[in-house]
Amino acid sequence: MARRYDSSTTTFSPEGRLHQVEYAIEAINNAGTCVGILAKDGIVMASEKRVTSGLLAPAKTSEKTYKLSQHSACNVAGLTADANILIDQARLRAGRYEYQYCEPIPIEQLVEHVCNYKQAYTQYGGLRPFGVAFLFAGYDEHYGFQLYQSDPSGNYSGWKATVIGANNQAGKSLLKNEYGSQEEDTEEGKDGGEEMKTGDADKKLILPDVQEALRLAVKVLNKTMDATATSPDKMELFSMTLDTNGNCKHTILSSDETKEVMDSVDAETAAAGDM
Amino acid sequence: MSILEYNGAAIIGMAGKNCVGIASDNRLGAQIQTVATDFKKVFSMDDKLYVGLAGLASDVQTMHNLLKFRQNLYELREERSVSPKVFSNLLSSLLYEKRFGPYFIEPVVAGLDEKNEPFLSAMDLIGAPSYHEDFVVSGTATANMLGMCETLYKPDMEPEELFETLSQALLASVDRDSLSGWGAVVHIVTKDGVITRELKGRQD
Repeated sequence: MARRYDSSTTTFSPEGRLHQVEYAIEAINNAGTCVGILAKDGIVMASEKRVTSGLLAPAKTSEKTYKLSQHSACNVAGLTADANILIDQARLRAGRYEYQYCEPIPIEQLVEHVCNYKQAYTQYGGLRPFGVAFLFAGYDEHYGFQLYQSDPSGNYSGWKATVIGANNQAGKSLLKNEYGSQEEDTEEGKDGGEEMKTGDADKKLILPDVQEALRLAVKVLNKTMDATATSPDKMELFSMTLDTNGNCKHTILSSDETKEVMDSVDAETAAAGDM
Repeated sequence: MSILEYNGAAIIGMAGKNCVGIASDNRLGAQIQTVATDFKKVFSMDDKLYVGLAGLASDVQTMHNLLKFRQNLYELREERSVSPKVFSNLLSSLLYEKRFGPYFIEPVVAGLDEKNEPFLSAMDLIGAPSYHEDFVVSGTATANMLGMCETLYKPDMEPEELFETLSQALLASVDRDSLSGWGAVVHIVTKDGVITRELKGRQD
């Protein structure tokens, strides 16, 4: 039944759906997983590096994480070719804003600009939507560190922690259980980011710090990826923090640093198993 | 009245042994009236890349912002720093784009390339570049500065001697030019870092 209403992006189906947009979202659910976590002193983004062939030349810096400006970066899930266009759009927008106002662009405005660009392909022109979902990580002086997710429809939302790409539902359910901790639990356990009581919406959530967030991100990837095959070469860990001058520092962890985090997560799960 | 002589400026770039120096005066005027004595005309685009912009003050500041924007875009896309030669070419292109309604500036680029060799270039307001191994000058006192540099310059000066030579050349040049002066700023760039010094000359 959907067949008659799914070949044009700019037509609603009788159920009020845009099928092309939904198909684009399907394309992303087959792509490498990306998880983003907001920490109290920064943001962590981790992604699965899918190596389709051993003959492929290794990427010079990254094929998942892209810097958009001095104070923002993004992770990509979906069609890389589509992503490249949008990343360039974002970089131009951030640069032009700073040229005009001599101030860095507020993160939500940057996200909204990219999303408005994507939305146009769902309403005009008869062109297909972009098959990309983004995790945007950024810092501005008005709202501090922020994490946003956007999809092919041009819709975006702010998150404390979220997952996109393959097996994102499994990742999200793990985050729901393990992200953050309640106020009274701050003294307990070395890893404050382990316990969360569901349903107590009025209790204040304690954000993890960047180290805890890195471990949590690795845990999520362990769950979404084929757990037996995880290794530092298959995971890319990125963190954004403030340096002593108040400028943003973008760090892609080295292979050794990634291994350290993975080992610490393995030790934790083993210890938890013993109890 | 020439628009390039409205605000007044004096900029010199000079090469030494594995180092470059770039210096400018501090005056901002509205023709004969001095309006500021701390107007920056030399900008650090990177640790080893400096650009000096002489000419209409409004265009000096606009061009600085434009160069920062374009350099940023380059570094995001290429994932590496821009080299002095490429930056100079970028500046030249930006100026020629406005061939029939130009920016009223005459810039000077000074830096150290990847091998820490000195790089100097100067161009006119529509981007015609010239490259020199010894020194480049720009501003309202170019005749004075060229004379001073030609006399005082010698090749392969160490950073300390380069500083002395550059400073004396600039200070003596601006004294005979009513539109430039009120002190100076001198940057000496080496592979280990930059030393910036402020000179107090005749305050007139």
